[in-house]
Amino acid sequence: MIFQQFNLVKRHNVLTNVLSGSLGRAGLFSSAMLRFSEYERNKARAFLARVGLEGRESSRADALSGGQQQRVAIARALMQEARLVLADEPVASLDPALRHSIMRHIEDLNQKEGMTVICTLHDIDLVRRYATRLVALRAGKKVWEGTAEEFGKDTFREIYGEDAEPASNSMI
Amino acid sequence: MSTARERILAQQNTPWKKGVRRLQGLLLDTILILLVLLMVEFLMLAFSGERGPTGLLLTPEEILDLLSYPWLVTVAFLLATLWNLFYRGLGTSPGRAMVRGVMEEEKFLPWTQTFRGWFTVLLIQLTFFTGWLITEVQLFTFLTKFSKASDIVRGLLNPSAEVLHQGLVLLVQTIFLAFMATAFAIPMAFALSFFAARNLTRGTFVSRTAYTIVRTIMNLTRAVEPLVWALIFISWVGIGPFAGVLALLVHSVAALTKLYSEQIESIDTGPVEAITATGASTLQVLRYGVVPQIIPPFLSFTIYRWDINVRMSTIIGFVGGGGIGYILKPRVDLGAWGEVGTLVMLIAVTVWAMDIVSAKVRERIV
Repeated sequence: MIFQQFNLVKRHNVLTNVLSGSLGRAGLFSSAMLRFSEYERNKARAFLARVGLEGRESSRADALSGGQQQRVAIARALMQEARLVLADEPVASLDPALRHSIMRHIEDLNQKEGMTVICTLHDIDLVRRYATRLVALRAGKKVWEGTAEEFGKDTFREIYGEDAEPASNSMI
Repeated sequence: MSTARERILAQQNTPWKKGVRRLQGLLLDTILILLVLLMVEFLMLAFSGERGPTGLLLTPEEILDLLSYPWLVTVAFLLATLWNLFYRGLGTSPGRAMVRGVMEEEKFLPWTQTFRGWFTVLLIQLTFFTGWLITEVQLFTFLTKFSKASDIVRGLLNPSAEVLHQGLVLLVQTIFLAFMATAFAIPMAFALSFFAARNLTRGTFVSRTAYTIVRTIMNLTRAVEPLVWALIFISWVGIGPFAGVLALLVHSVAALTKLYSEQIESIDTGPVEAITATGASTLQVLRYGVVPQIIPPFLSFTIYRWDINVRMSTIIGFVGGGGIGYILKPRVDLGAWGEVGTLVMLIAVTVWAMDIVSAKVRERIV
């Protein structure tokens, strides 16, 4: 699970935050003492390196910027070794440049790890760039479904209503 | 198919619940009108110049016995019923407004244009004047008779050195007494606070029951003054500082549980949700999602509690619970104001120092 507000444990350090992804298979007593096996710790370090955060293991989570925090959250999701990842607007609170960096990491979960990723997004640009299958929802009901190629100007109107104008023409 | 919201609304508007709320409104109105009537009669009697059996003016206590309660209850009930029946003409009554809200067309009226507003103002005014008489406020005496207390103040300002040594020794005892009570209270309050937090105990019937039991016991414990606990423990373990420790301990556990649990109730639910999503067990969720968030406020409350315990242990000492209060009480009774002054200053300096230290520490950890 990846969240819009990252939902890290702010007072724990980065490594412990990533390691908390493995709580499902950790022993009750050792995890109560915040202790994890060397094997898990190495794995967590490797995942942190993969999202570009090596060397930040002992920083407190709230000392990191938004983009870095979201990358910690992605490492935590990797640590969980799940088959399905739910990402709830993972880039909504980040700036446009960071959005692509984070989305590429999430794309890696799918391409390299073979995890299924279900991701909600508002930004049509991002949707068209990263999604393989698109589902549009309005007021909790499905209004459109298809692939990135099938998505055109009319589709936009269909989803957002007659008066809606795409923010930029470049994307259509 | 009805939505969840519609179902909830339908539940709230069953004739049975509507009737119950009408009765609640009526009852509230009766009580409020009764209060007004009682206070009006009280003030009328107080200013009537009527004299009691002793030939003196009636005292407030005597007036309270003379009020015509059954009559006024009947009148108040009738008035409340009338107001609730004709609320369209008279405007919503206060009880009805509290239980069921005000009518749409009244919502934006200033209070000066509603009957309810004037009624409330009348109630507050009457309460103030009645309170003035019942607590026998005497402004003139207060302002002119200071000289009678000047002996005491002079004594306090001229502390005698005689009790300084004994006072210092017992001051050390007082501080440790408060510390031990706080230290014993921490683990108990910590464990109990999880059961007393509403947001963690919604799940099952067992946890909801635990919540109710813990909250009720803690509220009852807190309602009993530490002084009373001290008396209980003095007869249990004998006069001395240990009885004081136990008395403060009981009160601290109750107070800290309340403060801790309120802190747990106000945590950010994001991390809890995230840790739950990793497949962690309930205990792991508490350890990773809840505990890190509550440690700083817990520490700050605990230090504050130690501060309070130092102040309270003085009073506990009055009845034999150890500490500096133990030698303060006889000197107050004897009127040895110089020695009382010394002890009071010792306490004041300690409380002042504790306050500074606790403020600094709390600043650091939050």
